[in-house]
Amino acid sequence: MEFGFTPEQELIRKAAREFAETVIAPRVAEMERTRQPPLDIFHAMAEQGFLGITIPPEYGGSGLGHLARLLVIEEIARISPAMGFMLQVFALGAAPLLDFGTPEQKARHLPALARGEYFATVSVTEATGGSDPFGITTTAEREGDHYILTGRKVFITGSSLCYLHTVTAVTGQDERGRKVITAFLVTQDMPGFKVGREEHKVGLWGTQLGEFALDHVAVPAENIVGKEGDGIKVVMKAISETGRPGIAATALGIIARALQEAVKFANERVVGGRPIGEYQAIQFKIADMSVLLDAARLLCYRGAWMKDQGMRCDVEMSKAKLFATEAAMTAARHCGEIFGGYGWLEEYVSQQLYRDAAILIPSAGTSEAMRIVTGRAALKG
Amino acid sequence: MTALWVLAEQRRGLLQPVSLEILGRGRELADRHGLLLEAVLLGNGVETLAEDLFAAGAEAVYLADHPLLADYSADAYAAVLEQLVREHRPDILLLGHTAVGRDLAPVVAARLETGLSAHVTGLEIDERGLLRQIVPAWGGRGMCAILCPQARPQMATVRPGVLPRPLLQPGRTGRLVRVEVALDLAAIRTRLLDFVPQETAAQPLTEAEVVVAGGAGLGDREGWHLVERLAEVLGAAVGGTRPPLDQGWIGEGQMIGQSGVTVRPRLYIGIGISGEMQHTVGIRDAGVVVAINCDPRARIFQEADFGIVGDAREVVPLLIAALEGETRG
Amino acid sequence: MEIVVCVKPVPDPRQWSKISLDPQTKVLRREGVEMVINPLDRHALEAALQIRQSLGGRVRVLSMAPLSTLEVLRETLALGADEAVLLSDRAFAGSDTLATVRVLAAGIRRWGIRPDLVLCGAESADGSTGQVGPQLAVLLGIASLSYVCGLEEVTPERVIARWQMEEGYARVEVCLPAVLTLTRACNRPRGITMLGVVQARGKPLSVWTAADLGIDPSQVGLSGSPTQMGDLWMPESGRRQEILPGKPEEAVQALLERLRELAVLPERPGRKR
Repeated sequence: MEFGFTPEQELIRKAAREFAETVIAPRVAEMERTRQPPLDIFHAMAEQGFLGITIPPEYGGSGLGHLARLLVIEEIARISPAMGFMLQVFALGAAPLLDFGTPEQKARHLPALARGEYFATVSVTEATGGSDPFGITTTAEREGDHYILTGRKVFITGSSLCYLHTVTAVTGQDERGRKVITAFLVTQDMPGFKVGREEHKVGLWGTQLGEFALDHVAVPAENIVGKEGDGIKVVMKAISETGRPGIAATALGIIARALQEAVKFANERVVGGRPIGEYQAIQFKIADMSVLLDAARLLCYRGAWMKDQGMRCDVEMSKAKLFATEAAMTAARHCGEIFGGYGWLEEYVSQQLYRDAAILIPSAGTSEAMRIVTGRAALKG
Repeated sequence: MTALWVLAEQRRGLLQPVSLEILGRGRELADRHGLLLEAVLLGNGVETLAEDLFAAGAEAVYLADHPLLADYSADAYAAVLEQLVREHRPDILLLGHTAVGRDLAPVVAARLETGLSAHVTGLEIDERGLLRQIVPAWGGRGMCAILCPQARPQMATVRPGVLPRPLLQPGRTGRLVRVEVALDLAAIRTRLLDFVPQETAAQPLTEAEVVVAGGAGLGDREGWHLVERLAEVLGAAVGGTRPPLDQGWIGEGQMIGQSGVTVRPRLYIGIGISGEMQHTVGIRDAGVVVAINCDPRARIFQEADFGIVGDAREVVPLLIAALEGETRG
Repeated sequence: MEIVVCVKPVPDPRQWSKISLDPQTKVLRREGVEMVINPLDRHALEAALQIRQSLGGRVRVLSMAPLSTLEVLRETLALGADEAVLLSDRAFAGSDTLATVRVLAAGIRRWGIRPDLVLCGAESADGSTGQVGPQLAVLLGIASLSYVCGLEEVTPERVIARWQMEEGYARVEVCLPAVLTLTRACNRPRGITMLGVVQARGKPLSVWTAADLGIDPSQVGLSGSPTQMGDLWMPESGRRQEILPGKPEEAVQALLERLRELAVLPERPGRKR
């Protein structure tokens, strides 16, 4: 068993760190103030090749893989969890194509996604709730060589920002009366695609979350991803094996930052004539954060390694997502508490980490959903 | 008797002040250790400058006067210096750490296969008769001594403005040695075209080499103005603590510390800053930290290399005046 | 164009607050300080890559450093250099600038090329002597210009360079081949791209020892260095905490003396009012 990174992976981490510190860091205050997604940063990330990490070279990416992707997201999220989160979403958007796309679909979209010409996401959740993908009511009715999609998607990160959406819709019923769900590639320029309301989150400012409606949108049949009826398989593979680790890596960035800031503060802040880091009450908190970071990293890196080997890793990724996002909440809270009264002042980063971490918990499946996946797998033995 | 040589650098017929500064220090060393102090003057039509060099203490001036030495080029200047050194074998050869000195000295040292130190701020001769060249280390964090035990001459480029300028003694004379030089235009591979004057561009705070920061102790906008004026004189970037931000004296990107930016200048000067860790955490990586504060118990003094206890309104104008005097001279 | 870029791995200047002097052994402690490409060398590499883009040719990176810095060199390949060689041998340890350029010159000879341009950072963040470039030019027998703050024109025969001086810059015509040392004003170095990382896979990254270079060990390392380091003074931990006494005038004078000694006052004065 080896735990070291290859020189190439170290280089990738360094490149991402340098980018985060020079390009993103100077913009964080502005994002926190305006809460607007910084399009130029997304394009700069594309230029750097961060959007094409999971896309193979024949489609214009670098094909460096999922472990490399996690390293990049972690480093970006350490400076801006919001930017780490958006980076994660863009790779999620490419995942259905990578996993199930036809050569034509891949050739059409992947090079553009790698270059950042437009962005993609996976749009599943409806008003019925994200944890119940079978509960959707969006319909797709066949008309000649097209399907007519009608419905509404909510809680979509990048709803208005992303041009390409992998959308699930009900295309019929099977012989036992269950919904047949199919995944379609829908683009914003299709007539009837209507961007809806924007949601206002308490954190991850710089990301974009909202709704869109499909009002009799005619989608060519060749835009089906996988086969008719494969919809749940297509989107769940993307969400569980690409989305969740992406969220988990965002959490890694938060834990690493919380630890870094807490250490800096504890070494500097003097109370009772000694830096507070010399008090065990503080040391224990820092020790816990340090263990959380290591443990969360190991879970995440293992899952990514499996994905890079082509192994199924949905359960491992669920564990990683569950642990890392919960750990991010704990670490951000510890950080804020080590800061004392300063911890929850607007100008200190701890409060931002805490708000940002909270949003990771329900993203791509709540902790409870992760436990259900993990529990079921464990019970199967 | 061994000789200590100083390259008398002239540009357009004007001696560089640093050359006189080195001669001044050279005179002291020569007197104390029994050395000859001699200057080397390169240029075209610059003979009259020899008088100043004698007045500054040189016992001899080697003058190489040639049209191809009118403008500086490493090739021509190094060829002449190499020829002179090989002929007269001085023990020490000092140059100013100017644009010319830092370009020329390494070339001369390599041609002579001898040692060279740069940015020298102190010169001593030790008990073995070796020249101890004091240079700053790690961006001003430390200092170290460089020696050149075997090879000769011992060479160094000396930072301008560090050594005191000597009192000139007009009328003092010395030996003027005219040097025959054979220079070939074809062997000169760089050619000066023209000169473009340029102002120091203001640097962004996080990249600035010098930062002047102010805090609540400055009181009002008039007090704050001192920070800006000092920064201007130094070509420094301006930063501050929370109160100046609240007052609107600085922008958001200028607050230094835990919730602001981290700065890494060679020199940081904090004025009227108490030194709470929320601020000092942002200056940990500064090379040299100077604090000016009227409260002797202010925590900033524990975080500073040098401190002046005093009223900023009195101390800072003195500092500005001293620095301005320097740039004029 | 055959372009050689000399780079030096240095302790990351952003982490120098971690550097201290061991009070007992007088050895510099710099644990936990990462090695990075000397910041100005990134500008030299950037200039080389831009020249290659317009004139074609090959960019080779050369460095003399301990073996542990090999990964720092890999970075230059990801940034776009075609080839990198680390000159590394225990015999090189303790080299001053003259001994260093003997090693670098031997490296260039071993390639068997006659470079049109050799580019270096104007000075290293740690040693900051600024001597390696001009001295290398002497050993290679070619022209040199140091502290170049801009490149106005580059052709295979000559360069019009901006030479940084005290109150501005001079425009200087330099005949090639030549060594130029560059300041940060020359350009804005690019960052590593993921494509660059992939492309670096196939590029040669080698290590050459003293034996590979056929170099006389007495000419390099400590024994080949004319200069020697004497004592090193450094505050053992933290700051000096020296309060300058006396009347304000005296304190200000004392302060300026110390700042001059430490060479932290700007070389070029600021804008005058």
